[in-house]
Amino acid sequence: MIESVFILLAPIIGALLYGFERIVKARMQNRMGPPLLQPFYDMFKLMQKRLYLIHAPHALFALLHFITLWMVVAFIILGDNLLYSIFLHLLATIFLIMAGFSVRSAYSHMGANRELLALLAYEPILILMAVGLYLYTGSFNISMIRTFSSSLPQLLLLFLSLALIIPVKLKKSPFDATSAHQEIVGGVEIEYSSWMFEFLYMAKCLEYVFVYLLVALFAGNSLSLALLLVATVFLMVNLVDNSTARVKIQDLMKMVLGFGLILSIMNIVGLYFV
Amino acid sequence: MFSFKWFKKKSPWILHYNAGSCNGCDIEILACLSPKYDLERFGVINCGNPKQADIFLVTGPVTYRSRERLIQLYTQIPEPKVVIAVGSCACTGGIFRSMYNVEDGIDRYIPVDVYTPGCASSPELIMDAVIQAVDIFEHKNQQLQSAKKLYRQPVFEQGRFCVSNVAKSLKDKDE
Repeated sequence: MIESVFILLAPIIGALLYGFERIVKARMQNRMGPPLLQPFYDMFKLMQKRLYLIHAPHALFALLHFITLWMVVAFIILGDNLLYSIFLHLLATIFLIMAGFSVRSAYSHMGANRELLALLAYEPILILMAVGLYLYTGSFNISMIRTFSSSLPQLLLLFLSLALIIPVKLKKSPFDATSAHQEIVGGVEIEYSSWMFEFLYMAKCLEYVFVYLLVALFAGNSLSLALLLVATVFLMVNLVDNSTARVKIQDLMKMVLGFGLILSIMNIVGLYFV
Repeated sequence: MFSFKWFKKKSPWILHYNAGSCNGCDIEILACLSPKYDLERFGVINCGNPKQADIFLVTGPVTYRSRERLIQLYTQIPEPKVVIAVGSCACTGGIFRSMYNVEDGIDRYIPVDVYTPGCASSPELIMDAVIQAVDIFEHKNQQLQSAKKLYRQPVFEQGRFCVSNVAKSLKDKDE
């Protein structure tokens, strides 16, 4: 019952998280920042604007991206299979990439290309994370993982590599080359306007929920530890976002694959032999 | 009754275009977005994408090279939209007025809603202009909504939607 309420409210929770994050980022820069409900104001405004549709598949891909992400979040909240959720999340990203390639805008193509490269960088780490949790708990089932005690001491390196890919997923500095709005004007989202863009906006909010639910998985059955982990990662991600510049997409791949993949493999090999 | 009109005033996304400016006004616009003046507290985002923008900030006298882009960008912003001319150059041509390679101000090409004087325009003036532009945005939006209600069909939508709606209304009339 409580799960279904959370699933229905997931985009709203994500939007509140995004609004809160904009305030936190502003306070870090000694600014006031927008109100907490700013994402909702943006959404209501977008509904009033005129719609420029490129073609039907382009709009459909945005819709599919949003719905698939919502399903991923629902599966994680319901405690379904972790590996399955990660692959479904991959499918959601692929819908976004297909949306980018379905129009003729050069910026959209470039954004989709970068999205693919970023996918190559972070997807192995997500899968290795699932493998690590499997080795620790003996199950890919999220509800089973949640019954164990915290896996943080054993899977610390995997947790660190998950923290490394969070800026890629949430499009934050230094890993925001996929949607760099000063150079490729948002990448895949460039051709969306009005309420079609709203689906991408809400999908962005759902990504927040997805990422922080994954972070909370490392806390196991302890709710207070989960909240602590989410709060710490949230603050660290925003601190890094405020204090670093964007790196090129090649450097993003080198850094994420170089550090993240090696840390993950070390952790899994360690779990296997120790 | 619940209405969207309380919300849409709070999220003006701006598109900034330099139509041959000396960069003075552009620096002042960026100063508005910086921590000291903090235009983001009104919900402003500097989105470089015309398809998602509401307020069009133009600086500079329009040079011959930049006028086509100016019009292209203006037409790519979906309605409702508001144009602000920032600085003396964008208003009248400023010190470049009646030079051989310059159009005198942007209102020769696109309708301007708010004029901001100054060379360079100060951040306080630009912020005031944006706040006024938000009110004009709200007014334009009301006009669009009432027009939609009047004709009971989405007159501002794309052609194919219009056709289907007109066909439907004709069918209703027949019945």
